[in-house]
Amino acid sequence: MLIVLLGVICNFIIYLAFGSLIIMPFKKRREGAACPLMLSVVTGFFFYYFVFFFVCVPPMQYYRPLSMLTGIWVPVVAVLVLLSAVLNGKQWIKWFKSALAYIGRNPAVTVLMALLLMIQVVLVSYTYNFTLDAAYYVANVATSVETNMMNVYDPFTGAWQDHYEMRYFFATYSMQDSVVCQLTGIPALIWTKSVMAITIILLTNMVYIMIARELIVYKNGRKAGVDADADDRKNGVGVASDDRKEIMGNPELATVIMAAIMFVVNLTFITIYTSSLFLMTRTYEGKAIVGNLAVMTLFYLFIRMNDESINVRPWLITFIVCFGAATISSSANMLLPVELTVLFIPMIVRKKKWNMLLKYAACVVPGIVFSLVFVLYVKGYFVLYTFPK
Amino acid sequence: MQSLNVAQNGIWYLRECLQYYTGACAYFVLYAAALVYVCVKGSRREKEIFIPCSVFLLVTVYNPVSPVLLDRFFDVNSEYYRFFWLLPVIVLIPYLAAKLIMTRTDAGQRIVVSVLIAAILLSSGKFVYADGIKLAQNIYKMPPELMEVSRLIHEDSDVEYPKAFLEYEYNMQMRQYDPKMQLTIDREDYLYVITNEYTDEMLNDETHPQYRLLAELIKLRDVDMDAFVDALETSKTEYVVLIKDHPRIGYLEEAGLTKVAETEGHVIYKYDVKEPYIFELVDYSVVY
Repeated sequence: MLIVLLGVICNFIIYLAFGSLIIMPFKKRREGAACPLMLSVVTGFFFYYFVFFFVCVPPMQYYRPLSMLTGIWVPVVAVLVLLSAVLNGKQWIKWFKSALAYIGRNPAVTVLMALLLMIQVVLVSYTYNFTLDAAYYVANVATSVETNMMNVYDPFTGAWQDHYEMRYFFATYSMQDSVVCQLTGIPALIWTKSVMAITIILLTNMVYIMIARELIVYKNGRKAGVDADADDRKNGVGVASDDRKEIMGNPELATVIMAAIMFVVNLTFITIYTSSLFLMTRTYEGKAIVGNLAVMTLFYLFIRMNDESINVRPWLITFIVCFGAATISSSANMLLPVELTVLFIPMIVRKKKWNMLLKYAACVVPGIVFSLVFVLYVKGYFVLYTFPK
Repeated sequence: MQSLNVAQNGIWYLRECLQYYTGACAYFVLYAAALVYVCVKGSRREKEIFIPCSVFLLVTVYNPVSPVLLDRFFDVNSEYYRFFWLLPVIVLIPYLAAKLIMTRTDAGQRIVVSVLIAAILLSSGKFVYADGIKLAQNIYKMPPELMEVSRLIHEDSDVEYPKAFLEYEYNMQMRQYDPKMQLTIDREDYLYVITNEYTDEMLNDETHPQYRLLAELIKLRDVDMDAFVDALETSKTEYVVLIKDHPRIGYLEEAGLTKVAETEGHVIYKYDVKEPYIFELVDYSVVY
């Protein structure tokens, strides 16, 4: 269990370091982003897989061994984490001090939230679930470590494959698991079904908390420096302030209650197809990450952009989430472009911020490109062999 | 959703898909009610956040025509249901529920509202552990017996990568635990066998001898014994693992397989492959 705990902690340190590289340079210039610590960690998760993709694909395409990728990836991570620590170390200390101060101010709420998280961690890490897709996700990690190759052997049977299966080629998430397992000697089953399951359930809850706080603790930030109450009054609506007045009585408690209800929904909105089932029973699988973490992170970013309360390059984060999610599961290629469209296009039209259209298009591009490449592969236009022909 | 097909259902595919997706859960009804509430009583901000995306989803991917159109370009049959993941059910319902609770000024009222909401939510869905919580028996989250089967096969085998035919669940799990175990049956072949029958044409397919193994041992069809043994030989299957009371145990013994070990619930049979094939990893050192 100690290995699992250490694995989760290491993951979060790395994600914080990676995320801070995206968030911090801009955060320093302008204060005011809510939940910067959690936003950094969540962004860091996707940025980590975004960077890994570019390091992983070239050696994989040229059928180089997994150990070569490990040899490249470890220094890359070490350098980026060190760089981030140098650049952001002071800010991290501030964040943690402020987090401790928050706990000091809200001990009861903190205990409730910790309990909520603990229950979910125990559920995903101690329960046994039989899922068919684990035959790919976990066996592919185990197979890659065993053969010291990447996606070359069929995880379902162990047989050698003469070409790469493009459905999985760009989803390099499981190769990252393989790198860690090879590096640390942790068995694939323990890494995926315990360490990554706990990591993902915690990250997803972080996003839930971020969303809950955004919805509940709505600060009049429709535009930086503009009083939304006045803005709303001018428009004859006056509702933003109503939102705040109604719930601000104890926003911290309201956040915990909302997070707890989200948990109840995840426990009870269950058929074999719902994202809640994926989250609770197949937490570490790419589809579960996309269907819960990525989809909800985009929703969070949408709320922030809708409120115009985010000043840490939201479109860059959105792009990283979209690209990073596409490298986790190919499901992202169809889901996230649609989600981006249904969330952001109405917002862009309503706000008449036409310059956002280009940014939106840039975020949609990775999913569409990966999808097109896959279609070309299925139609037989190209094949990537696992051996020189 | 392997059993749903756009071509067969046409514009009714989406309705079927939604029924499969929601099952007996009433969360989409709650979501619709929540949307109506936001439309009528919600603030401008709430409307901005929740209404446009729901409407946009309704006219795009939740439009019954969309899967029909998309199916012309992509095979969407098995994955279209994932578009339902985009509806922010997990946000809107808890948000309004929390709001309902927190806007009560009296503690007693808060408790009553909380209990009511809990009752509505719990009765609107199916509990994920409705069949009981199954705790993992070890840190690998694998059945201990599967681990024992793996050990017994490796102890018996002379090769590093033995090849085995396993029953369904073990077939899906074995290589997660033991990547040295080669498996005769692919995941897709196993999934196929559950929902389909084997035709004579398939059973005579020389390129897929594993179909005969599945037909005999899983579908319990009568396969000619020589053809069955030939399937073991050509697929180089050395071990067959079945549950102890499997109806084809006698058949295996008659076919010349010998029992090499057994666990509490499983029995391991060995077939002596006439032309041994030793699986080796491809040597990539010649490439780089």
